[in-house]
Amino acid sequence: MSLLQVKNVSKHFGSLIAVNNISMTVKPGELRAIIGPNGAGKTTFFNLITGFFRPTAGRIIFEGRDVTELSPARRVWCGMARTFQVTEVFPELTVRENLRIAVEVASGMRLRPWLSQIDDEKIRGRVRELIDMSGLAAKADRQVGELSHGDQRATEIMMALALNPRLLLLDEPTAGMGDQETYEITQLIRRLHKDGKLTIVLIEHDMRVVFHLADRIMVLDQGKFLAEGTPPEIAANKAVQTAYLGQAA
Amino acid sequence: MTQLLLFNITNGLIIGAFYVLMAIGLSLILNLSNVINFAHGGFLVVGGYIAYTLEPYLGFWGALIASPFLTAIIGLAVEKTLISRVYGRDPLYSLLLTFGLAFILEDGTRVIWGANGKPFTIPAALAQPLSNQFFFITSYRLFMVVVVVVTIVLLFMLLRYTRAGIRIRAGTLDLETVSALGVNVRALRSLNFAVGIFLAGLSGVLAGGQLGLEPTMGAGLLMPSFIAIIVGGVGSLTGTLVGGLLIGVASGVTAVFFPAASEAIMYVLMAAVLMVRPRGLFGEEGMLT
Amino acid sequence: MSKLFKPDSRRKLAALVAIWTALVLAPFWMPLLGGYTALGTRVLVLGLAAMSVNFLLGFTGVLSFGHAAWFGIGAYGCGMILKFVALSTPLGILAGTLAGGLAGAVLGALIVRRRGVYFAMVTIAFGQVFYYIAFQWSSVTGGDDGLRPFYRQPLHLGIATLDILNDATAFYYFVLVCFALASAAMAFILRSPFGRTMLAIRENERRARFLGIPVELHIWIAFTLSCFFMAYAGSLYALVNNFADPRGLHYSQSGDFVMMAVMGGMRSFWGPLLGAILFVVFQDYVSSVTINWQIFIGFLFVLVVLFFPRGILGAIRHRVAS
Repeated sequence: MSLLQVKNVSKHFGSLIAVNNISMTVKPGELRAIIGPNGAGKTTFFNLITGFFRPTAGRIIFEGRDVTELSPARRVWCGMARTFQVTEVFPELTVRENLRIAVEVASGMRLRPWLSQIDDEKIRGRVRELIDMSGLAAKADRQVGELSHGDQRATEIMMALALNPRLLLLDEPTAGMGDQETYEITQLIRRLHKDGKLTIVLIEHDMRVVFHLADRIMVLDQGKFLAEGTPPEIAANKAVQTAYLGQAA
Repeated sequence: MTQLLLFNITNGLIIGAFYVLMAIGLSLILNLSNVINFAHGGFLVVGGYIAYTLEPYLGFWGALIASPFLTAIIGLAVEKTLISRVYGRDPLYSLLLTFGLAFILEDGTRVIWGANGKPFTIPAALAQPLSNQFFFITSYRLFMVVVVVVTIVLLFMLLRYTRAGIRIRAGTLDLETVSALGVNVRALRSLNFAVGIFLAGLSGVLAGGQLGLEPTMGAGLLMPSFIAIIVGGVGSLTGTLVGGLLIGVASGVTAVFFPAASEAIMYVLMAAVLMVRPRGLFGEEGMLT
Repeated sequence: MSKLFKPDSRRKLAALVAIWTALVLAPFWMPLLGGYTALGTRVLVLGLAAMSVNFLLGFTGVLSFGHAAWFGIGAYGCGMILKFVALSTPLGILAGTLAGGLAGAVLGALIVRRRGVYFAMVTIAFGQVFYYIAFQWSSVTGGDDGLRPFYRQPLHLGIATLDILNDATAFYYFVLVCFALASAAMAFILRSPFGRTMLAIRENERRARFLGIPVELHIWIAFTLSCFFMAYAGSLYALVNNFADPRGLHYSQSGDFVMMAVMGGMRSFWGPLLGAILFVVFQDYVSSVTINWQIFIGFLFVLVVLFFPRGILGAIRHRVAS
């Protein structure tokens, strides 16, 4: 029944324990937020799930399949897609070209020396769809590297979406954004969640975004699991308040 | 037979010591600044020729000491005006830059000192063979090894015990953090480069005494240095040390059985290391990859 | 179809027509500028080599600094066929191309996991292995003197015979056709989905990996393809000179090819050809004026790196965009 099961996963860097025995279960269709003070190990946790690192201990089960040993590229093929804290796109290519590459790879055409008219149309169509969904239509033929932070992030999210993932992992999607951009990205994520019936796990610092979007929230602190629950439960949780605000709370 | 083998191993170690001197300078610059200094051979030549020019005034010993310092100063000037401009850019540009510099240095030597080889006189005392049995080991070759050993020991001590040395080592591992700790990274790189060039210049003086001076002598020594670094492992000075000795010995031993292949063996070694342990003998995963 | 009428496409089409017109008419306008047909042939082949390096450098973002090895293997392969096996130009070209391409495929597999500076170092070192072999194995390769004598053979095309050995113009057009075939193939690949994955890897390797692209495999394929193109160019070069030279394998030759690509503009398809033209003209001029021409080449390298890193076409493109 669960889409993603992270079982007792730890990551040691020498004597530094970045992630300490964390478990997480995500159901299909859920929107889970992972929060915690800086240095809590959230991005490292993501990196373990997506295959950037191998865990020192523990296992990662995706759709019933043990993916712990798989490379990042293989995990993408299993149905996972992610965005990064520092946006990773193809800066000198246009939005359209960025999406086109993502769609082609997702369609299994990455090794093709040529495309038939039909395939080409199909791909163009899908790219158009994604562009419309993102609201970037006006800027689709501009180099991504020249767009605003928010638009670059939106492009990246659409690229991840182009992969037809069943699980989308977003690492601080609103990082470094002003109020307007934050609003737009939040709306985008919400649209994707409702319409696409996508399962989303996101790391966020902006509590407005978290409480607006999340079905469930998991809190990490210094690499360890602190709490999990629905937004109201977390908001009321004393330990969480202490972790964020210090003993004074 | 064993005596022949011993002879060749010893010979190999002597050659290897020389490769080590060259390669360590190259390795220092590579590790800290991510720059492959193609011009290293060029600086070797310059070092040799400067010694040649100074010899009439300072004698052999004076030239031996002064030349590397002067070469290092030239290297420092080059680093500050040219090489520092390409740090942080795509490694393509530092390659092309040092490549061009190599041409300039080699041909520049030709312009200043002429295209013909020049003799470099060494003191008579050093030119004597050590003994009748091992006639091939002249005192000069032993002297070279001694100089190399002393220099390497001094270098390792410098890296271990001086503040600058420690910073260089730290910078090799994580330059960002070192910079964040307030260290002047630009000055560090300049110093590091100068030390590397000092070693190249010293190599030039020593080589000059052994082989005479020629504008093209640097180029032939660049490849063994590369191979020493690849075999020993990128990012590790100890590796470069071991790599240099290893290829020297391999070369010497092969000369016994297959004289024609004594140079080829270095490449074979390199290919073998790359297949079996791609990061090199002492290399660490993730260094510069 | 409507894409053909966008202003950008029109401009590209016009540029293409201009370039090919110039190339086809070269034997006629070159003498007017003090050149001669054989020079044009040489530049064309070197330009193709520079484009082959750029296939990897400018379009995949992979820095191979030992690519002259495949050029040289192609040259020797072609030469050896003509000298020892059969008097057939097409066979020579085929043999040279296969030899260099296959050698590259094997080597590529060994080094494809390395990146950046380390990758460059290894390509340089391996390139030197082949230089060394060509130099030492003198019984077969002719050693320092190079491989000779062999001669490009007239082509028997059924209806007529093209005397490419003695007729410089005929040979130029033959090479131009070969160039056209290769550059068309290159353009074709770059425009394909696979070609786009090459761009992706250049632009952001991490993102490419997290889109599901098996990066090492794609780099190996791009590397192998560029080796085939390079060896093809090398075979043609052997025909140009009726001679194969160990110096053609040396890393300094590799450096020259990279410089041609950078000078002309790495990000542009035709940049390397332009770079080759400029480089060859510059080199020929300087070496005819002074024996110390190497210093000037060195300064050229330094100047381009410091002041024209985008190359000529890159600088123009940048100016136009802003």
